[in-house]
Amino acid sequence: MESVQTKKMMKTLLALIPVESPLYSFHPVSRLLLFVITGFIPLFINMPELNFMFAVVVLLLFIYSKVALSSLKMYLPVILCAGIFTFLTFIFFPGKDPDYKVIGHVFGLALYDQPIMNAFIAYSKILALLLSSIFYFSTNRERDILAALRTLKMPFVASYVLGLSLRSAGMFLEDLHTVREAEQARGLDYAAMKFTDKVKLYSMYIIPLISLALRRSDEISNALFVKGYSLKSSGKRADYILTKYRFSASDVATCVVLILLLVLIVYFKYRYQWFGSDHSLFQYVIK
Amino acid sequence: MNMKMNANVWSLNEGELRTPQMNHVIMMALFIGVGVVVGTFGSLAVPLGFVSAFWPGQAIQSVGCIWFGMWGGIASIVFPLISNAIAGSASIAVSLAYAPGNFLQGILAGWAFRFFKCDPRLKSGKDWAVYTVFGGILCNAIGAAWGVMVLRMFGLISPSSTLTVFLGWSIGNTVPSFILGAILLKFVSPLIVKSKSFCKKYWA
Amino acid sequence: MGKIIEINHLTWQYTDTEKPALVDVNLDIEDNMFIGVCGPNESGKTTLVSCIKGLIPHNFIGSYTGEVRLFGKNIRDLRAKELAEYVGFVFADPEAQFTSMSVEEELAFGMENIGLGSDEIRERIDWVAKITNLENLLDKSPYDLSGGQKQRVAIASVLAMQPKIVILDEPTSMLDPMGKDSVFNICARMKEELNMTIIMVEHTMDRLARLSDRLILVHNGKIERYAEPEHFFENVDELVEMGLNPPASIVFLDQLKRAGLYEGPMTTSVEETIEIAQSICARKESVQ
Repeated sequence: MESVQTKKMMKTLLALIPVESPLYSFHPVSRLLLFVITGFIPLFINMPELNFMFAVVVLLLFIYSKVALSSLKMYLPVILCAGIFTFLTFIFFPGKDPDYKVIGHVFGLALYDQPIMNAFIAYSKILALLLSSIFYFSTNRERDILAALRTLKMPFVASYVLGLSLRSAGMFLEDLHTVREAEQARGLDYAAMKFTDKVKLYSMYIIPLISLALRRSDEISNALFVKGYSLKSSGKRADYILTKYRFSASDVATCVVLILLLVLIVYFKYRYQWFGSDHSLFQYVIK
Repeated sequence: MNMKMNANVWSLNEGELRTPQMNHVIMMALFIGVGVVVGTFGSLAVPLGFVSAFWPGQAIQSVGCIWFGMWGGIASIVFPLISNAIAGSASIAVSLAYAPGNFLQGILAGWAFRFFKCDPRLKSGKDWAVYTVFGGILCNAIGAAWGVMVLRMFGLISPSSTLTVFLGWSIGNTVPSFILGAILLKFVSPLIVKSKSFCKKYWA
Repeated sequence: MGKIIEINHLTWQYTDTEKPALVDVNLDIEDNMFIGVCGPNESGKTTLVSCIKGLIPHNFIGSYTGEVRLFGKNIRDLRAKELAEYVGFVFADPEAQFTSMSVEEELAFGMENIGLGSDEIRERIDWVAKITNLENLLDKSPYDLSGGQKQRVAIASVLAMQPKIVILDEPTSMLDPMGKDSVFNICARMKEELNMTIIMVEHTMDRLARLSDRLILVHNGKIERYAEPEHFFENVDELVEMGLNPPASIVFLDQLKRAGLYEGPMTTSVEETIEIAQSICARKESVQ
């Protein structure tokens, strides 16, 4: 089972992505736009049911994109804890308003309608935003992200720094793995360590790792020089890798639809006060 | 051949010219990578939705600005954008709104160390005091204030929980970032101050 | 054959070091030569080739006197892009030189920097991938390859820029025997098929000597010897004292010389050494 999954998914520096996906036929710019717009839409919607629907749509996108849903397991603690924390802050710090109505009690604490509604609104937004963010990194390689940014005319040095940063995160984790393996080979037993010792040990890991980064900065700057790149480089440079991507008619359609969707949501929200919590089904349920 | 070294790490040696080099850009990129790992780990270890607490990434911001000046400042803005996206601890819109707060909570320590001429190797009581106040307490207070304001603006926390979230955020972040930052400054600064990437001024 | 590299009275000292890494070095290198550079650890080999590439003084801090001229131009006046057009450089650690996220991007990066267009880049990638056997790896991350493959990518990325000079600084030092073989095979192919000057720093003297037209011995920051292989190995004892391992054929011929059995020139060719041994045996048999 595991080997089948390994074949279907591959590791990038940031997450697990599907080896093959219909989403890959879209240009990286379309995919980036999807990420940006889905990162904004829930912020304009105060109807939890719509945001939960939005989250379901994102989950369907995961399935459409052939992302193994089991790879989302690592985000479950974040999703659950975020919910618990959000509800607790609204339950323990409801604020004061004469219009609040008590809808029940928990451990002797009064639960008010509006704060609970606000908790649902906040959590539904967080959930929708969180899933859209995870979706992007579960369906894009680092080079797709860079290709999107370069297509959008981001200066080469900036996109290079971003690429190197992502790579550096991967190298940092690999180095950490090597240090830990070396420690285990010399008989260090993590299980037997006290919590404070573990915290100290983890903090101390960063010393050799930053020293390595320091050495690498020299190596990479030499490598760039050797390949003819310098900060003062002038003149136009070809961007060969962009020739590998095509912006098709379906990309144009996708981008237009996404932008239109955001514009319409913003327009209807501020022109006709749509998507407000007053008309939410949750209001009726809570009351 | 051997240049006369100043006792103060921030003053230029005789005839020393410092200009931004490729090395600074590379080091910034690598430092962003370090921040991404530390920041993501912190966000996943203590997941509280979009609220930050017990986040060691702040140490990377303060220390980065002490060592690499504005390059550290840029890293302070960029790495939380990436680590928040990976850990799902903030959406792109919220992350962008956090950016000025992230910059401030990093650069404050960088400014204080240069202004008060403190040694990044934390050699004296003054160095420790400045680090504690500017690199531990004040920067986290400013960062938390900004962060809470952003969450309020997006309606992600209740108005009456603002003070509590602020206190939890700033105190919660101060503890790990102070410890990690102190370790970094004490043990890694001796290497950094000798390197080409160290910035005596803000850009070089 | 014209001089393409001229080094005149070059002295270089890194900051925070006690003594210069190179001392009053003078050297001329002609075009289309394969030059092998050897010497003990910390002798100044890498510093010497870094000076030829222009990494020193452009990318290092230290004290620099004398001059290095490439095709008559002082390297201090050349920018990174021009230097890349003249000289390609392969480091010992393959991973230290990668700048991109896929093999194909890695090959394209240098060509983009020197201003080639996308069509020409594509053609050259096809060409260089073929001669370095990387055709099936173009889409992979360079970090996911074996050591030998990584170094082949590094060499290919330099060859794709078609520089007039290629420097390889201990390209096999971090490789397993198979990786070493693949790199030496490519070097042999470069020598045979490409019209370029190759400078290779290498610890494996045996294979280096067989490829080289001339060999340089660097010791204590100075050039102690610069000669064709047959003359370079005339004093084997000195090389051994420096901790170097002369080729097995040279050691064998040196022993024959000491025994008074051979007086001819030194050779690194195994076939020629066998012929010499056979002729000595035949001579001995006829005497008996």
